[in-house]
Amino acid sequence: MVVKIRLARFGRRNAPIYNIVVAHARTARNSRPLEVIGTYDPIPRADPYDNSGKLHKDIQLDPFRARYWIGVGAQPTDTAWRLLSMVGIVPKKEFGPKKEQGTKTLTTSFAQVR
Amino acid sequence: MPPRVRVPSVPLAGLDATSSLSKTAPFARTFSTTPCREKMSKSRQRMYEWLKSQSGSSLAEAPNSPNYLGPFQDQPFPLNPLFRSQPVLDDTTRELIWEKVTVRGDSIKAVSAEMGVDVRRVAAVVRLKEVERQWVTDGKKLATPYAKAVMKMLPKTSYREGEENEPHEPVNEVQVHNLTMQQLFVPVSESRHFTREDAATAFHDKVLSADVRSPQPQLITMEREILKGSSRAESLEKFKEATQAEEEAVAAKLEKQRLWEKKQTRRVFKKGETRVQFRFKAINVDDAGRDGRSRNGTGWRYGAPFEDRKRGLVKIPTSVP
Repeated sequence: MVVKIRLARFGRRNAPIYNIVVAHARTARNSRPLEVIGTYDPIPRADPYDNSGKLHKDIQLDPFRARYWIGVGAQPTDTAWRLLSMVGIVPKKEFGPKKEQGTKTLTTSFAQVR
Repeated sequence: MPPRVRVPSVPLAGLDATSSLSKTAPFARTFSTTPCREKMSKSRQRMYEWLKSQSGSSLAEAPNSPNYLGPFQDQPFPLNPLFRSQPVLDDTTRELIWEKVTVRGDSIKAVSAEMGVDVRRVAAVVRLKEVERQWVTDGKKLATPYAKAVMKMLPKTSYREGEENEPHEPVNEVQVHNLTMQQLFVPVSESRHFTREDAATAFHDKVLSADVRSPQPQLITMEREILKGSSRAESLEKFKEATQAEEEAVAAKLEKQRLWEKKQTRRVFKKGETRVQFRFKAINVDDAGRDGRSRNGTGWRYGAPFEDRKRGLVKIPTSVP
């Protein structure tokens, strides 16, 4: 069975907190995973006593376990990949629809028109 | 639906008469016809007499100090002898505490011992003054008239530098331990020097002595030195140095912890974006323990009860970041 690195949503309504888990692909989202390798708080927060308006998101991650699971073939989901690529555990990847390449104009010097 | 009220049946002939009657006085209601009193009641008269008298007018004038009805200085409600109001620090003193701690850099314990204010109160005053200053810089409006009015109603203690001052409260009080509430008879040889440590162990093996449990053990050391024969000024200087050193050690420890956490954290931005920073803190999976339920572990504790909304549990945070 495929082993995935994915997020499990916990917390309350409008206040999610995600566990970054290693689990079998066919198991339920919030079921007990093989291992919890970290957490991801998606709500941007300010530092205490900081009025500059700068926000940050907190992620806790065990980099060694993450590397191990990638090494033995665990497949990160897109969101997990995005997080893992930020700390260089997996290479960067473009997600979403590919940007359309504009149609190029062809000059007659390169092609012969019959 | 009309109310089911039994009404005396009216003969048809009388119907006309009753309807005409209600038309003439549609809003007829009973109202009090008692005339106004020409004279005041006895008690009301006495009240006005008292208000005009010396004591009454002095109460109405509202001086700067609290002015209670009762015979005692600290009993605001004369019929409730159990309520005694405690004195509070006045604003000048609080300002002075803040200045000593933050501007002059005195240790909190030294300030506490000098001014006769509890260590926790000194810390609280400094924190609240910081908040007040923050509000002023933020342009928030302070409720100064309200604060003034409240301060007028409370007994106050003050501290002025270079004067003889009364201490606000005892600063080195030890909490009474439950195990020390029993009566004990410990036979001890006359030659033995029975110390506070011995007394503590007599109650229980794990009870600490009063010296250790006191909030300001350095003060005890200072007094002991004075008893031994050193001068008060000299030992006071030593006391200040000791508390300063202790405070600096704590600050260094906190700084070290902060640096360690900073080292463990990697800060990255998403590609082509600077709005939100992502902070990756390295953790260890093994902190969750063998069964994965340890409170030191990271993430959701599977299977452990989550009691964040349980009734009867205090949800007020117990620490500040």
